[in-house]
Amino acid sequence: MNDLRADKVSVAFAGLKALSGVNLTVSPGQIVGLIGPNGAGKTTLVNVLTGFQTATEGAVLLDGQPLSGLKPHEVRRRGIARTFQGGRLFRDLPVIDNLEVTGVGLGQSRAAAIAEAEVMLDWVGIAPLAGRIAGALPYTDERRVAIGRALMGRPKFLLLDEPAAGMSAQEAAELSALIRRIAGEMGCGVLLIEHNVGLVLGLCDHIVVLDSGAVIEAGPPDVIRASEKVRHAYMGSAADTDLPVLEVEA
Amino acid sequence: MARYSILRRTIATPLILSALLLAFALIAWFVGSRPFNQTVIDIFLQVVFVVGLYTFIGNSGVISFGHIAFACLGGYVAAWTTIKPMMKGTAMPGLPDWLMQMEIPFWAAALAGGTFAAFWALVFGAVLMRLSGIAASIATFAMLAMVNAIYSNWSSVTAATSSVVGIPIVRSIWPYMIAAILAVFVAWAFSISRHGLALRAARDEPTAAAASGINIPRVRLIAFVISGAIMGAGGALYAHSIGLVTPDTFYLGLTFTTLSMLVVGGMGSLSGAVLGVLILSSLIQVLRWLEAGVQVGASTFALPGGVQEIALGVVMILILMFRPSGIMGNSELTGLRARTEKPVEPGTD
Repeated sequence: MNDLRADKVSVAFAGLKALSGVNLTVSPGQIVGLIGPNGAGKTTLVNVLTGFQTATEGAVLLDGQPLSGLKPHEVRRRGIARTFQGGRLFRDLPVIDNLEVTGVGLGQSRAAAIAEAEVMLDWVGIAPLAGRIAGALPYTDERRVAIGRALMGRPKFLLLDEPAAGMSAQEAAELSALIRRIAGEMGCGVLLIEHNVGLVLGLCDHIVVLDSGAVIEAGPPDVIRASEKVRHAYMGSAADTDLPVLEVEA
Repeated sequence: MARYSILRRTIATPLILSALLLAFALIAWFVGSRPFNQTVIDIFLQVVFVVGLYTFIGNSGVISFGHIAFACLGGYVAAWTTIKPMMKGTAMPGLPDWLMQMEIPFWAAALAGGTFAAFWALVFGAVLMRLSGIAASIATFAMLAMVNAIYSNWSSVTAATSSVVGIPIVRSIWPYMIAAILAVFVAWAFSISRHGLALRAARDEPTAAAASGINIPRVRLIAFVISGAIMGAGGALYAHSIGLVTPDTFYLGLTFTTLSMLVVGGMGSLSGAVLGVLILSSLIQVLRWLEAGVQVGASTFALPGGVQEIALGVVMILILMFRPSGIMGNSELTGLRARTEKPVEPGTD
């Protein structure tokens, strides 16, 4: 009941189906992986779940209640947070203000938002970056700041869109540990969209595989590893760029 | 208690700007010349207008061509509420009786003008703030044209395009200086408020701001109403500085001048807004002086009329070419050197 659920979600752009009847459920404290080749519809699904894209058919349900028609800021206020592929930090603002913005967006006073931001910076492990201008941060720090920003207000669910892109194996392992803490300590349900399949297989309780807008496989990591359909979806990709390129210690 | 003290970190900016404005007032007071006095009053009024523009444009990033409409609304409120009833009856016979009999002090008219303009900013803004980018800018220009058309044609209430005279003239510089300083403090208070922070975040990354829970049209609307109130109060005081209003007093000329000042000073900076006024007003005064003619030996040297506007345009183009973010960029005056947004490390405050 206390789940985030995509129920037979379809999205069409000018007749072209980006998603076809996708079902997906994330429970509190669970880490769900969403993988698939480029163009599979992963980000479109995240956009639907967070109110940036309207589903042509189907519904998104939070705790059993439909989120249809809600704007992105209203979805966020109901406890569904997300990060973006490109980071999308407020580049002219210091790191602490990036987190503070979410606090005030959720209705806090500036003082309360700053206080929570300081706690969150410590929790994520980026407190030394607090006064740095976000636009001057290295790529990997940007990702961690984006996660810290999304965690403000202790969301029920966190949707991470390719958080490990461009990270080294060591950095990806640290990210992996952080995501475990988010699910374990905060009880936050995490939907992880990631091209680093090694990281997803090592981290997630349940994995959904999309190809051409449809779910082709869903299950625990062992099922995904053994699936011929998944192998075919990846191996069938022209350049094989989406094959697991980086293994991360689980 | 948060380690960051926003107020302590930023209060220097309005204090420095206020000191600058006070210095101008003191100079005018010591000089004691009436034309110079009027020049300084004009500067203070421009500060009110440009700071009003900054409150919306600087924080939202949406260029508004329509804010002078709010000054027009405020200016006519001053006419409706301060002119002697007999004169109002002649010029504006369509006014309701309660307004016809009203005669309030200039400062009350300024408050009423600000409130009236804020109300209409709320009405217009409820629609306009849903737009973004160039669509929003064009819509604000349409709003300016609509207000101008209404005030130019509603003869029984606004005397149409005729000058509405008889507004009590206030010649003291102090009320204008106080208004300019108040405008600076209101703009500063908004920029450090949670709505100000949210609006600047939405300006820089609207998608991420929405994903952070920010209702972008709402925070834009708050800024629009506050800036409308500042412009309306400024419009009322403008009417009291010259003693008359016409719809064209508050139209394209003033729009161009105030936007130029904001662009030159820096759209993202309160200090830039004030410095833009001081720099361009000084330039305008020098050009006015040259247009009036300067005695050089036996002959008189005079620039042709219209040079002021041309010079404003040239300065604006040069700034846009070589320093698009204006003289101050996104920095603020905080003492010995300009400050970009929040360089202080937490815990050091």
